[in-house]
Amino acid sequence: MRVSKRKHLGTGAVAVASALALTACGGVETSTGAGDGQGEYPSGTVEMYVGASAGGSSDLISRAISKGLSDDLGASFPVINREGANGALAAAEVASAKADGSVISVQNASLFVITPLAVAADQVTSIDDFDVVGGVSRDDYVLVTNSDNDWSSIADLKGAGKKITYGTTGVGTGAQLSCALTYEVGEIDAEAVPFDGGAPALTALLGNQVDTACLQVGEAIENIESGKLTALSVFSPERIDYLPEVPTAAEQGLDVEVYQYRFMTVPKGTPEDVQETILEGMKATFETEEYQKFNAQNSLTPMELSGDEMLAQLEEDKQRYADLVEEYGIELGSAS
Amino acid sequence: MDVNAFLDGFSLVTQPQNLLYCLIGVLVGMLIGVLPGLGPAATIAILLPITYSIDPVSAIIMLAGIYYGAQYGGTITSVLLRLPGEASSVVTVFDGFALAKQGKAGTALGIAAIGSFVGATVSIIGLTLLAPVVAGFALDFGPPEYAALALLGVLLVATIGSGHMLKALVAAAIGLLLATVGRDSFTGAERFTFGNLQLTDGIDFVVVAMGLFGVGEILYNLEQRHGKPHVPAEVGNVWPSRADIRQSSGAIGRGSVIGFVLGVLPGGGAVMSSLAAYATEKRISKNPERFGRGAIEGVAAPETANNAAATSSFIPLLTIGIPANASMAMLFGALLILGINPGPQLVEERPDVFWGVINSMYIGNLILLILSIPLVGLFVRILRVRPAILAPITALITILGVYTINNSTFDIFVMIVFGVIGYLMKKTGFEPGPLVLAFVLGSIVEASTRRSLIIFDGDPTGFFTRPISGTILVLFILVALTPLARKLLRRPAHGSAPTHDRHDADATV
Repeated sequence: MRVSKRKHLGTGAVAVASALALTACGGVETSTGAGDGQGEYPSGTVEMYVGASAGGSSDLISRAISKGLSDDLGASFPVINREGANGALAAAEVASAKADGSVISVQNASLFVITPLAVAADQVTSIDDFDVVGGVSRDDYVLVTNSDNDWSSIADLKGAGKKITYGTTGVGTGAQLSCALTYEVGEIDAEAVPFDGGAPALTALLGNQVDTACLQVGEAIENIESGKLTALSVFSPERIDYLPEVPTAAEQGLDVEVYQYRFMTVPKGTPEDVQETILEGMKATFETEEYQKFNAQNSLTPMELSGDEMLAQLEEDKQRYADLVEEYGIELGSAS
Repeated sequence: MDVNAFLDGFSLVTQPQNLLYCLIGVLVGMLIGVLPGLGPAATIAILLPITYSIDPVSAIIMLAGIYYGAQYGGTITSVLLRLPGEASSVVTVFDGFALAKQGKAGTALGIAAIGSFVGATVSIIGLTLLAPVVAGFALDFGPPEYAALALLGVLLVATIGSGHMLKALVAAAIGLLLATVGRDSFTGAERFTFGNLQLTDGIDFVVVAMGLFGVGEILYNLEQRHGKPHVPAEVGNVWPSRADIRQSSGAIGRGSVIGFVLGVLPGGGAVMSSLAAYATEKRISKNPERFGRGAIEGVAAPETANNAAATSSFIPLLTIGIPANASMAMLFGALLILGINPGPQLVEERPDVFWGVINSMYIGNLILLILSIPLVGLFVRILRVRPAILAPITALITILGVYTINNSTFDIFVMIVFGVIGYLMKKTGFEPGPLVLAFVLGSIVEASTRRSLIIFDGDPTGFFTRPISGTILVLFILVALTPLARKLLRRPAHGSAPTHDRHDADATV
């Protein structure tokens, strides 16, 4: 009963989506025609696994890409939420799927470069099980404090003369790493308070239950703009467009560069031409005004690199984080 | 409050197009609410692409309708099939299912619909007038307050149902233990996962509830049916009588207030409110032993409270930009996609969205009440279906429901394991309710206590020196000690009536 209804709703949604595609972006259709040597892909439904529940930024990004791909490639790309273990369960589904492009997934860098620092070795997801098709976008972290505190920079925290508490969004996340590194590198006496995701951490900060928190920009930006929170630092290489007033950690003399980014993956060994088609579809999606608006609304910075560039970035960040954690003796989790 | 903007919101909502989207939203919500598993969050996600093409205000009115419509539908399976689809409707099962067995399913569902309507409407009025004030209250609730509140909840759990106090405590203790399964959220250490990645995030509430209640009941009935010939359940009085309504009116009034206040708290507010409303009714009732055996107030109170809570959970989203639960997180995402920023500035930047959504809820709830009248009559006929046919259908619903939560076949097997446990519990006189509720509250107690201790730098006196958590803990001690103190005081006074003693033991809350 439920399944048929769900399917029905799904097809309804697809019907509307494709109707939209026909009316709104007729110009994109030409790219579907470039089919020589590409076989039939996509011939049927393509499942897009997400390692998070519906509603979070990982889910919304996958849904935006899913819509773009189905508009451009014509097939249906249903998003399947498989939450758990920081995304490792969804990753396992994709890794064990048939390598023909029928199962794809936009995955988070943190699963491959940060989570391994916090969990047991046999629970680490390796990037070697996947082919990386291309980059999607970067999601930055920001160090924020309640505006009731008269702090405006990381240096002010050091001068606060007390132990600073900081909320994080959980163990093995970039939010935890960025905050932990900041306080360790800056030699500030601090204590982590892990919360179960961004919303509870934000609530605790607004209620002055913790002194500071590291959050994703999209989670905090509304309260920064309304003046309830003060942003102390971002952790990107350069200042970010959405918070141009906020200095980077590097500008404040701390070598802390941490960010989340997402990229399209397929099971290892998926044919080149299939990967090529998916990449074309992604590029077409990136071009649409609708997708660009989506990025801006969610404070995401495009990171539309090639698969090889993406892979190199992942390897580099993995090494860099591991070195930093070792150098400063930071423990993200006791099981590492 | 800006009265002009409020009235503008009403004229916006009464436009035919918006009325239509409101109707679609609550209807879809009610239908998905009937079946456990596929919740409002997943439904909103599926319908999201449709909203690109319609006006943002209409879209949000529709998506919000799905959310509160689902709260109405959730009661139906709890009462008729003993399948609570959400933590906040577990409490309804005790008296709702007992009433259904007595042929009063219609009464239970009717009262639940009326209570839901009143609770939601009271909550919307509160939302209209008090949103900013109450939002501040939510922020005063830090980890210590959650720890104290959830601890009080665990104590209330023990008094729920009709069984033995001791057996309820044992079940609750097992529930607390089950809550520890999963990767520790503070250190990353594995706890009772046996190295299985599937268990790293713990066990899902719906999986446990479906197994213990739904599958357990099916197995138990299978055995029973071999013993005696089937007598089709009598389905009498489809709509509650005036006497039923009079009897429930107090419970509905108190449930509305409890639900509105606790619903504002993100994370666990709705569960706590249904639990607190039920416990309050049992506590003030003249004959508390009726509870768990088909007391109509036992349905009215939690159903009113969880609907009021569902409505007031919009307050943190619309005023401070914090999603209070998974469905609110999905609405948060939907608002962003539609180009609206949910947060402190929403009421000034987009008064049309703010007041449009709030005012649409007045109308949406009215539609839901009207829809309930024919649907209750339709749904109670399920009980006339022979168990030999109903049991496999129920089994199918639970399996599909559990699968759709996280697209996981592993969860189906976990549910079956819990089904066998539920069967054994029923045979030995243990109730699953305390286990399930303690399971939900257990992770809140643990995580909040540890968070608090980090914030207090290890000093546990902090729990008592903060005003709100201190008050809750004093209440906790009072509730825990009252029956004991009463017994001690009464014993010296020459042997009082034994019946009174029994009442007191039952009415521990």
